[in-house]
Amino acid sequence: MDQSTLNPKITRRRFLQATGIAGAAGAAGLTLEQSGALNTISTVHAQPAAEKGGETVITKNFCHQCPARCGIDVYTTNGRVHAIYGTLDNPLSNGKLCPKGHLGTYLLYDPDRFRGPMKRTNPKKGRNEDPKFVPISWDEALQTVADRLNALRDKGESHRFALLFGRGWGAVDAGLFGSFGKLYGSPNIGLGHSSTCADGSKKAKLYTEGTYDYSAYDYANCNNLLIFGAGFLEAYRPYNYNMQVWGHMRTKAAKTKVTVVDVHMSTTGAAADRLIMIKPGTDGAMALAMAHVILTEGLWDRKFVGDFKPVVQPKDPDAPRIPLHRFEAGKELDPAVFEAKWTHGLIEWWNAELKDRTPEWAEKITTVSAKEIAAVARELATVKPSIALFERGPTAHTNGVYNGMAIHSLNALVGSLWAEGGIFHQTAKTPWGKLDIKSDDFMDDYAKSDDRKKPKIDGVGKTYKMASAQIQRIGEYHMKGDPYKLDTIMFYLTAPIFSSPECNKWEQALQDLYVIETSPYPGENAMFADLILPDHTYLERLQVADTYSFQGWPMSMIRTPAVKPVYDTKVIGDVVIEIGKRIKGPMGDYYKQVGNTENIIRAMAAGFAEKPGDNGVNDFESFKAKGVWYKKPVAYRQVRGEFLEWDKETKSHSLPMDAAKVKEKILKTPTGKFEFKSGYMEQEKYAHYIHEKHGIAEDRVGFPQWIEPKYSGSGDLHFITAKLPMAAEGRSSNLAHAIATAQPTQGGKRDVFMEINPETAAKLGIKSGDKVRVKSKTGSVIVPARVFAGVRPDTVFLPFYAGHWAQGRWAKADERIQRNSVNELIENVSDPISGLACYYSGKVSVEKL
Amino acid sequence: MAKWGMVIDLEKCTGCQACTMACGMENSRLPGEHWQDVIFYNEGEYPSPQVKWFPRPCMQCENPSCVAVCPVRATYKNEDGVVLVDWERCIGCKYCMVACPYGVRFYTEEKPAYGGPDMKQVFKGEQGRSWNPPWRMPDSKEDWKHGVGVQPHDVVSKCTFCYHRVSKAPKGTADLDPSNPALREFTPACVVTCAPSARFFGDLSNPNSEVSKMIGNKNGVRLLDHLGNKPQVYYLTGVGGAVPSNRATNKA
Repeated sequence: MDQSTLNPKITRRRFLQATGIAGAAGAAGLTLEQSGALNTISTVHAQPAAEKGGETVITKNFCHQCPARCGIDVYTTNGRVHAIYGTLDNPLSNGKLCPKGHLGTYLLYDPDRFRGPMKRTNPKKGRNEDPKFVPISWDEALQTVADRLNALRDKGESHRFALLFGRGWGAVDAGLFGSFGKLYGSPNIGLGHSSTCADGSKKAKLYTEGTYDYSAYDYANCNNLLIFGAGFLEAYRPYNYNMQVWGHMRTKAAKTKVTVVDVHMSTTGAAADRLIMIKPGTDGAMALAMAHVILTEGLWDRKFVGDFKPVVQPKDPDAPRIPLHRFEAGKELDPAVFEAKWTHGLIEWWNAELKDRTPEWAEKITTVSAKEIAAVARELATVKPSIALFERGPTAHTNGVYNGMAIHSLNALVGSLWAEGGIFHQTAKTPWGKLDIKSDDFMDDYAKSDDRKKPKIDGVGKTYKMASAQIQRIGEYHMKGDPYKLDTIMFYLTAPIFSSPECNKWEQALQDLYVIETSPYPGENAMFADLILPDHTYLERLQVADTYSFQGWPMSMIRTPAVKPVYDTKVIGDVVIEIGKRIKGPMGDYYKQVGNTENIIRAMAAGFAEKPGDNGVNDFESFKAKGVWYKKPVAYRQVRGEFLEWDKETKSHSLPMDAAKVKEKILKTPTGKFEFKSGYMEQEKYAHYIHEKHGIAEDRVGFPQWIEPKYSGSGDLHFITAKLPMAAEGRSSNLAHAIATAQPTQGGKRDVFMEINPETAAKLGIKSGDKVRVKSKTGSVIVPARVFAGVRPDTVFLPFYAGHWAQGRWAKADERIQRNSVNELIENVSDPISGLACYYSGKVSVEKL
Repeated sequence: MAKWGMVIDLEKCTGCQACTMACGMENSRLPGEHWQDVIFYNEGEYPSPQVKWFPRPCMQCENPSCVAVCPVRATYKNEDGVVLVDWERCIGCKYCMVACPYGVRFYTEEKPAYGGPDMKQVFKGEQGRSWNPPWRMPDSKEDWKHGVGVQPHDVVSKCTFCYHRVSKAPKGTADLDPSNPALREFTPACVVTCAPSARFFGDLSNPNSEVSKMIGNKNGVRLLDHLGNKPQVYYLTGVGGAVPSNRATNKA
């Protein structure tokens, strides 16, 4: 072969190719010209002629790839969706997107998508059993479901139909499940996933503030951000906005100081001013010690928290002076000497818990030095406004709620609650209209019968008295028949068979059940499914949603289809309605009157007529055109210990609120204050339950307090599995573009690595790139290791990302080393109070292969 | 004539790679063909490790090594200071890839590194295109003379500073600010999407442009400046960021 670089063989080949192409194009441009030492031609490739048409249409939508729901502009030309950008006049996306936001076109055109409804023909189910799906019509698919449901109802067993859901968007998907369950007669329709999501933080806020919700944050005005176990620059919602405000916080005058408490060096930890690598599950001890420092050093916010009553000195100048009241380590105080403002139970908390929670005490538990704990505490209380933020890191443990309450109490102590630059809650709802059809009018005697009052399959309210969900237990309870066996299970945007602790146990449950999957993509659910009812992808949907708590004011958004459905799919809301129409009796009549989801959305948008959004949206058409309705500002603010309501006249937070109003609108606890002594938890029904579960004396259950986390699994290393920035609600692991970009352990692409500390790795003889087996008593997973100084020696970190064994061709490619879910290693243990799955309490052993 | 340049504020950059994804989407890139990559690296000992990241587009050098070595004059510097590849001329010899000190050029026929089916086979090319993804950019924007669109087989591709957008900007524009609705559609994709607003794009030949002022005020620096390529991409390092220095490589 001629290898001369000055006369490359390739030129001749190209010359011939080009002659052919150019000939077809009319022999234009075939002039030879001199170019340095080489003879070549001007055209070796001819650009294809442009197709006709070419008008680009932008439709409004909102992203599907995390809970944040950023407004997006979807660019479509000649029927092809080719670009997605953040909507510029959307107050959440502000024209920006996170990396996931740009994956939408790949999701829409994913070549592994299901083409239409299908039924299983292989009765055997297993990880390696081909379901042998055959296509069926939508009519057959919907009738199949309806026949099953009607048959269950005829037998009085409607409770044996369960519908589990993950990301609910709003009124026309998850919002339909409630009335469906009521009319049909099953308590198991619309079982949510919050117990595998964020119930730890939400419950901690419920118990202390009386609001079961995510918080809203005024990051833009805060000067100090303390993050406990949340991937602020990775997966914490709303990721896109977090980054927008990060750019602001880090370059504004008085740069916001950021401290991250985590078990490894995430990108958030790396970008922060200070990273504290804490022992898993001990964040609460650090927070309690911080509270101790704030009190003993007199740094609490007196205007919000309250203060000691003044000491009246004897009139006689010679009489001994009475010392001023103060918090002294180890010393109890009389509650009567303190006058509380917007908090309740501070002195009781101090006496029962805080007085002994010194930084030195916490150092022994957390491995964080007492000096550093004190420094962070002083800073939180003095560099203000400050926010203590927390999510699953501290709360996905057996002591999670108490960890969360301890951290959240810091926000109260430093006066950040509802303050500018602080932390608060959503205050108002979108003025949606309603279809004038009342589902209650369509309940038949069957639905109304007392026989329908069956316990839920997930044990909520019974085994788990304080939890809001327990999705991770449903497979297990079904297998045990506790309290009964299910017959049919339907999944919408959730797959506990991959994402629940001990997920592999679900395989047995799903073998046993008639399974209906609604995802448009192949996946683990689908491998066990009897029926596939594929949903539209988000770019094909008409759908509405409300915001998650963002900045306190209400915001709602709409998806409008960019293209006609690429395949024979149907949006979930219409699937539910269509099934409903096929149920015998008045329930069928109800859904016939409802018609479809578009009717509902149009009726909802009619509600905007009276209350137009700040952007002028006042009906369905303007809603579609803008993609978002919102109304600023947040209704209430706390300013120097006074709660003020927004005054429309003066356009300021200036209307004083009395204690009764604060209790009704803001601090919805029994005392109407932030409770360091939680009245909610002290209720008899719960106090006894907590005592049983944790062994805490009933008169102590209400205090944010330290209890040892119980680590589960087996082995000597903590096993932490947080999400990556590229983890797009479970689907990016089949997207070649995402795979080629994901950075597990900062620097990997294509493979997901397990981070292991150099010292630990040396002991185990592990080098970077070695294949290792990670094992616990519930399962094992094989992964490549990366030796990384940014993880604790007692901890290994493996992102929750790869290992999908039943997604499409890219997720399952031979090159992937990890072949199963990290959750197979995590014992199915829940925080008994919040019900949150203890994802981060597992321990494992690691061996080199 | 402008001299387009980019400023990247490393203090703001969060390493999210939205720039990489937006670029790939806007320019119909193959998976892993990261015209705009973000390089991650870590060093240090526990408990004081460092993780750093470095966003790296084509530097659009004033003295581009790639242009000097191209035997067929396929790669060139256009009048607005952008280094482009004419795919109609490129013979895929890859001299430019060897010459480029920044590693920002890509050969179409590279074996996929992502694992799984080759996207070029899944979406087979037609009419001379090397592949034909369903999300391909509109034909009206495709421009092989300037290296824009889905490329033919056997050519080298690179960041064009989103030539198909930037070249439509009104003449004399000092800065392409994506928050300005009138200029947004002309702004490079990576700058449009950058959530922390770490990227700025403007005319370096205009001393009053924001990019020029920023480089002056905040001590903008260039990558591997000692090589003399004179990049038109500048970095602001602030307190938190850093431009990678030359470093010893680990030898076994």
